Amino acid sequence: MNQLIPRRTAIRNLLIIAGGAMVLPACYNKSGKPTIQLNNLSLTEEDELFLEILCETLVPETDSPGAKSLKLHLFVMKMVDDCYKAEDQQMFINGLKKFDAFAKGKIGKSFLEASVPEREEVLKGIQKDKEKDKAIHKFYQITKSKTIQGYLNSEYVMTNLVKYELVPGRYNGYFPV
Amino acid sequence: MANIAIDSIKERTFDAIVIGSGISGGWAAKEFTEKGLKTLVLERGRNVEHIKDYPTTNKFPYEFEHRNEMPFKDKEANPIANRCYAYGEDSQHFFVKDNEHPYVQEKPFDWIRGYQVGGKSLLWARQTQRWSDFDFEGPARDGFSVDWPIRYKDIAPWYTYVERFSGIAGNKDGLAELPDGDFLPAFPLNAAENHFREVIKGKYPNRHVISARCAHLSKPNQIHFDQGRGQCQNRILCQRGCPFGGYFSSNASTLPWAQKTGKLTLRPLSVVHSIIYDSKKGKAVGVKVIDTTTKEEIDFYADVIFVNASAINTNLILLNSVSDRFPNGLGNDNGLLGKYMAFHNYSAAITAEFEGQLQYKTDGRNPASGGYIPRFRNVYKQETDFLRGYAAAFSARRKEWNDTNGVGEDLKKHLIKKELGPWKIGSHMMGETIPKENNQVKLDSSLKDSWGIPQLSISIDYDENDHKMRADYFEQMKDMFESAGFINIETRIVDRRPGNDIHEMGGVRMGKDSNTSLLNEWNQLHSCKNVFVTDGACMTSTGTQNPSLTYMALTARACDYAVAQLKKGNL
Repeated sequence: MNQLIPRRTAIRNLLIIAGGAMVLPACYNKSGKPTIQLNNLSLTEEDELFLEILCETLVPETDSPGAKSLKLHLFVMKMVDDCYKAEDQQMFINGLKKFDAFAKGKIGKSFLEASVPEREEVLKGIQKDKEKDKAIHKFYQITKSKTIQGYLNSEYVMTNLVKYELVPGRYNGYFPV
Repeated sequence: MANIAIDSIKERTFDAIVIGSGISGGWAAKEFTEKGLKTLVLERGRNVEHIKDYPTTNKFPYEFEHRNEMPFKDKEANPIANRCYAYGEDSQHFFVKDNEHPYVQEKPFDWIRGYQVGGKSLLWARQTQRWSDFDFEGPARDGFSVDWPIRYKDIAPWYTYVERFSGIAGNKDGLAELPDGDFLPAFPLNAAENHFREVIKGKYPNRHVISARCAHLSKPNQIHFDQGRGQCQNRILCQRGCPFGGYFSSNASTLPWAQKTGKLTLRPLSVVHSIIYDSKKGKAVGVKVIDTTTKEEIDFYADVIFVNASAINTNLILLNSVSDRFPNGLGNDNGLLGKYMAFHNYSAAITAEFEGQLQYKTDGRNPASGGYIPRFRNVYKQETDFLRGYAAAFSARRKEWNDTNGVGEDLKKHLIKKELGPWKIGSHMMGETIPKENNQVKLDSSLKDSWGIPQLSISIDYDENDHKMRADYFEQMKDMFESAGFINIETRIVDRRPGNDIHEMGGVRMGKDSNTSLLNEWNQLHSCKNVFVTDGACMTSTGTQNPSLTYMALTARACDYAVAQLKKGNL
């Protein structure tokens, strides 16, 4: 659990969720609750930590920031909480809750304790045979698509890697490829 | 006390009252104030000042909490607003929420509304095409509705007049069915769109693919700079309001122009209850307003009243303006008020791919959105088993996607590398619908809105003609797409409810005969000459063109006439 400490320190700072500023709720007191206010999803602090690791597995830190530093797991949580219907939210929760047991069945250990290649192996396995466990698959599919959306629409990516132009000021219908 | 009352009436008396500040009301405001009339513009919603009240206009995608997606709760609460293509986190503050202003749907109808200064002129799709005599002569030739009391020559100079001021980008294409206007440079077609244009030109002599004509300042003239507007910057974030004034809206153009004359009084938060008719004078004398802040009823007076409340609300106001002389609504001697409404049939789309011209892609963004195919069916003569025809939007862009199959570093690497695919081709139908007596709006007998005004009951639907037209669109477009070598062609019935096209028209139609129409050739109520209707409610038939440009031209024309009549003492 030692690894939790730097993380807690980090999230006590002003949270920047993929570019959007979000102030920590006043109630944050290591209460076991997630760090952002959720209205529909019932998630714990442990769930949040797990999502952070899952998102980082999907989009890891390299020579540029990954999911963890871009807080993409919080974006995933926010989107699932606000933009999904109840039955999808339930599938998401169901998949999340059984994910660790599922991972253990595949690699013989908890996802949190696994190495990066082992974690990737679990995820690739889900992508290969999607029908086996509906909840796992749905949870993973939502998490992956929202992580990708959050990444591509993050301030970091939009200003450094795939530049978004607010004011293009031009149109060329014959731009050479 | 008497003097105070007189002063108060004086303060509430104007030369002209314009009900509504949207695309046509804004024009009435500009025309009247420029001609020296002290003008009151009533707007039921809040004020929206150009630039200042565009809160999202300069936001980046990551500054929207849900990246412009509406939360599920909002979708559940507002299914009608959410079905509008322009509704999102960046624009939702310009839309009426479903539960704010309820109405009765006898048949499913998506009534899309923008209750604020500027109305839907902030949100419109900005496509602007002139009507031709093939449209004005349609009802007489094909035996539906009633004959239009005007022809192209009557409105042509007024099209020019409003185009010069608004700024319309387009090419002079020389087509009889879609007359040329006074254009700024067009936004050119791209490589794939031009390929299609050439193929169609070769194979179908009377079908044309042209650059869509739109109300964007591709190259502003002095008159546009004088309005404080500048060149369109190809943002295509128009629904947020444009900080450059790159597209035409009441807020960016006509209203500030009217303001500069010193003759304009703009009164937001003023719901019009009814128009006040004086039977002794034999004309309307004013407008009864409910102040939405104080809930107070206030009467305003003027010599001439223009009703530009948006097509359906204009019907509502007239229906609710009852008097001994007009027990069924103002000007409604023949019982046709609210009837013969119509809309545009947008219920079909077709997509395809094209693997030619792959040496090109597009760069930047096209505010015109691509190409436009004017109506080619039943133009010169009746040739199908359905009446009238359809225009079609047409556009192409290279498919771009990210390979998202991997995980970890592999995924991350692919996310920032866009793959370039074939051209994605898209088109949708914009069909004329036939106005019918049973396509109508009326006052609900019991339900009232928050201001005690009866709710509207709407009964408007597609018919057999619309379905036949859709089948023909699929058949013709498929054929044209195949000729152009497009592949993976897919037709799609678009389950759009009437109203979702936001082109509702009619109910107070123009005509030559007071027994069969409500308005004369000057948009004047036959039986109450100082009340004019120049928004979508006046339309006798719908044509296939996006209608706003025609409302603007009709409004400027009617204002010119009204002022001349006022001077002659005829109103």
